Amino acid sequence: MSDSLKTDASAILHARGLGKQVTSGDKPLTILSDLALDVFPGETLAILGASGAGKSTLLGLLAGLDEPTSGELTLFGDALSSLDEDGRAQLRAGRVGFVFQNFQLLPTLTALENVLLPLELSPLADSERRGRDWLTRVGLGERLSHLPKQLSGGEQQRVAVARAFVTDPQLVFADEPTGNLDPATGKRIIDLLFSLNREAGTTLVLVTHDHALARRCDRCLRLDDGRLEPLVLDEVEA
Amino acid sequence: MSSIADTSRPTSRQARGLGTLRWSLRGMRRDLRAADVRALFVALALAVAASTMIGFFLDRLERGLERQAGQLLGGDLVLEQGRPFDDGLRQELVEAGFTLSDQVDLVSMISHADRFQPASLKVVDDVYPHYGVSHVDLGDGIEQLAQGPAAGEAWLGPRLMQLLEVQVGDQVQVGETQLSVAGVIEREADQSGGFGNFNPRLMMNLADLEATNLVQPGSRVEFEILAAGPPEALTRVEATLAELRRDGVEVRDVRSDRPQLGNALARAEQYLSLAGLAAVLLAGVAVAMATRRYVDRHLDTAALLRCFGATQRQLTRLFALQLLWLALAASVVGALLGLAGQAGLLWLLTAFLPLELPPPGPLPLLLGVLTALAVLAGFAGPTLLRLKRVSALKVLRRELDPLPASAWLVVAVASLVFGGLLWLYSGDPQLAFGLLAGGLVMLVVLWGLGALLLGGVVRLAAWLPQGGSKRQALRLGAQQLARRRGASLGQLLAFSVTFAAMAMIALVRGDLLTTWQDQLPEDTPNYFAINIQPGERDAFIDTLDDAVDERTTLYPMVRGRISAINNQTPRDAVPADARGDGSLRRELNLTWRETLPDGNRLVAGQWFDAGPALADGRVPISVEDGLAERLGLSLGDTMTFAIGSDEIVGELTSLRNLDWDSFRPNFFVIFPPEVLERYGHSYITAFHLDRERDDISRALVREFPGVSLLNVEAILGQVRELLTQVTRAVEFVLGFVLLAGISVLYAALTASRPTRAHESGLLRVFGAGDRLISRVQGAEFAILGFASGLMGALLAELAAAGIYLAWFDLAPRIHWGLWLTLPLGGALLIGVIGHALSRSVRRQTPMQSLGLLGEA
Repeated sequence: MSDSLKTDASAILHARGLGKQVTSGDKPLTILSDLALDVFPGETLAILGASGAGKSTLLGLLAGLDEPTSGELTLFGDALSSLDEDGRAQLRAGRVGFVFQNFQLLPTLTALENVLLPLELSPLADSERRGRDWLTRVGLGERLSHLPKQLSGGEQQRVAVARAFVTDPQLVFADEPTGNLDPATGKRIIDLLFSLNREAGTTLVLVTHDHALARRCDRCLRLDDGRLEPLVLDEVEA
Repeated sequence: MSSIADTSRPTSRQARGLGTLRWSLRGMRRDLRAADVRALFVALALAVAASTMIGFFLDRLERGLERQAGQLLGGDLVLEQGRPFDDGLRQELVEAGFTLSDQVDLVSMISHADRFQPASLKVVDDVYPHYGVSHVDLGDGIEQLAQGPAAGEAWLGPRLMQLLEVQVGDQVQVGETQLSVAGVIEREADQSGGFGNFNPRLMMNLADLEATNLVQPGSRVEFEILAAGPPEALTRVEATLAELRRDGVEVRDVRSDRPQLGNALARAEQYLSLAGLAAVLLAGVAVAMATRRYVDRHLDTAALLRCFGATQRQLTRLFALQLLWLALAASVVGALLGLAGQAGLLWLLTAFLPLELPPPGPLPLLLGVLTALAVLAGFAGPTLLRLKRVSALKVLRRELDPLPASAWLVVAVASLVFGGLLWLYSGDPQLAFGLLAGGLVMLVVLWGLGALLLGGVVRLAAWLPQGGSKRQALRLGAQQLARRRGASLGQLLAFSVTFAAMAMIALVRGDLLTTWQDQLPEDTPNYFAINIQPGERDAFIDTLDDAVDERTTLYPMVRGRISAINNQTPRDAVPADARGDGSLRRELNLTWRETLPDGNRLVAGQWFDAGPALADGRVPISVEDGLAERLGLSLGDTMTFAIGSDEIVGELTSLRNLDWDSFRPNFFVIFPPEVLERYGHSYITAFHLDRERDDISRALVREFPGVSLLNVEAILGQVRELLTQVTRAVEFVLGFVLLAGISVLYAALTASRPTRAHESGLLRVFGAGDRLISRVQGAEFAILGFASGLMGALLAELAAAGIYLAWFDLAPRIHWGLWLTLPLGGALLIGVIGHALSRSVRRQTPMQSLGLLGEA
């Protein structure tokens, strides 16, 4: 699994020469430069990096939430550079799931309503049943109508995981999914995430600074000084 | 696995649209839990309630007034000419939907035994009266009768009874027949037939007219058709009426002949419209404030949805639909409130308005819903666009909020929409534009003034000597206001406008009421003495002056007919539709005066003493502006009057505006002295007599039997009653405006809650106790309220002055009390409401309050 940076037409996410510069004060600041990456269907990929390395910026670019200042990026076969923000949004609809560090649940919505949120964009006949099923699968079948503030951190993240999978996405991005949880709860969430991913056959791209979490992925990359480098299992263990 | 995009997902646009529709409905239902949405709801409902209430009310009042005018006229349409009407016209009127009643008016000598007296005969048919009842004493006390006298009978006015010395049951000679006196008329159901010639009244049945043989060629007889019917009937015969007017028929209808109570009511109507607009403006400000919070709260939702694949279009649709549901729900609630409100207004005016008013029409309701949508679009639109511009990246980087809508854009769009509403409500684009432009200039001035005031407050607080928790709270409060400069300035402006609108409506109310009270003071004349002969003038005046404190000037009165205008026959000289005008068909009361009478206002030309001398024996005359307008006369035109066998040519040298509601003798035409003296004349005056001093009036009648005393107490009472009721209506509406003002306070304070929670959380972390935080918040609100009150007072004074000059025809004045009450009241009101609304914020732990920012 260490043969990184393969170039293959079967990749669902394909990036070359990807760079992001921002202006800080008067000076340009390079966050990412000349990145190359391919993500293949069904694989789990961890992107490791220290705090401030630009992991979230990269995730934003890969998911089409932000535009690179240089390079090419293809998602599901479509070049993101040829799409405007609305086009990129439509590309994501129903095909990309997200799990965030701070859960990003809407406080006025119940657990079930939060899970159903992505389905509201293009409702299905059985949306509600689907939402209930997924909440049951993450162990919250009895707490459908609870508001986020009535749930613990771990439970909130489970709702978020159910929400990420409810549309049967092809690709799930997870941004520090255990960052706000204690180690034991974090582990349970990771177990859940990986088991659901396996069952659904989804591709998972994980951004984390947690080596233990990265170890469980098929493949690891390290983001360092704006560049991506392959990382072997042993190094992760080190 | 396969993408769900290829399987069960319906892709049709229609299904997606339906989904958004349902989703938006669910979203709005969920959102009703949030304070800002509740504030939005309340504000919109108030806007709709205000506009529908006033719309419904004015609509019904308008129709009620027509009904009342009909009652005074004796029908919805009255036609009058010197010869009988032909059957073709009758046929046409009946086909148009009218019920007809015939009436003949003439003056004839009536006798009983050896007493003879000219009387004004009102000959009515069996349909009479169309509306209302006559108050007649048939011998057993006064009864209300919806009919005229039966054939063979006559009803006489009390004065005629007295002059002829007859009792009920006696016979009187009318022309060649005898009629039995069956009743004494206290009040006629209508004022048709007029009392212009001041002869006492006799009412008889049309069936007896032929037997009197009074209608002869050349005799002065007026034939009238009194027609009653719906407004549509009047519209149907409009063309015919225009033709009749050209033929010299006098046409009066409920639209053109409003009761003379009009002036007070017209002002009240303007006041109500103004108050309605103020309520709508306030609701708009509340909507703008609540929308800011609504948008802030939904930024995360929008970002998440962007992340999950929502397009800008979908987001716009979603939030627009959500708010549309809110507006519609608020419209329903507002319209119900408006309906209830107008019922309340009508209830306050029941004694004045006829009971069976037509039900409210649908138009005000439509206007109400339109108002809600317009207010929402105008006051919330630009702010809402922010949701559409949210970047999906915000889910990863919380600080990435879209720029808030430019304050100028918000103000510009809101002004545009409000200007449109002003136009719609007033139907006067010039007024709408003027008010709008003035308002915007004021806003810029207030903005600058507000910035200066805020800066001053902070500097003042910094000056306060250290020590003392109250001073510390005041300083901290001022600092917090200064730190949130932009938001504070926004609130300051919103509160100023709110206070100004509330104060202005209250000021205008107060000044209107004072004007009304001044207009009809306690000693307003309630008696007119007419027909005072020159020989008895001095004796009468001496007797009168001994008995009463005050009377109006004694005016000489000469009767004359307009025989030519600009040397043409009047018919040819006046506009076609004025050919049947009453002034051309009857004798006018002419008077002479050296000075302009009290209550008259010169609107064109110069009074006799200042005007140029006229050649050719023409004399200068002063004419009432309304008459001049109807007859198409302007300064320099001539009018020839036939007085007896003489003719006098007068040239218009001035036009006067009269206050017809003043209960003083008023004249259409005034001559200078030394022109009319040589003709037969009598005098008229008016005076006030307390109700319990009937003995004086009886004594006057006894001593001067030739003088007619006209008691107008009943009409005066009616006007007074109307003013009292209109006053209550005005107060009711004022209450509504105050309610709208409070909704602004609620919306603004709700909107700023999270920021305050964050600040108090921080203060708490740094060791501040409950007491200090409570005082700091109280101080901050009080300072805000004080400054807003100060600016509100300025704005209210300017706006009220503008409105007085433009609308109410009142002189502007400075209201000193306002400058004290508004700042102090503002400090108290905002201090108390703000402090109370922040209570839940103060109860939170620092953890909660610091986490609250940016969430629900």
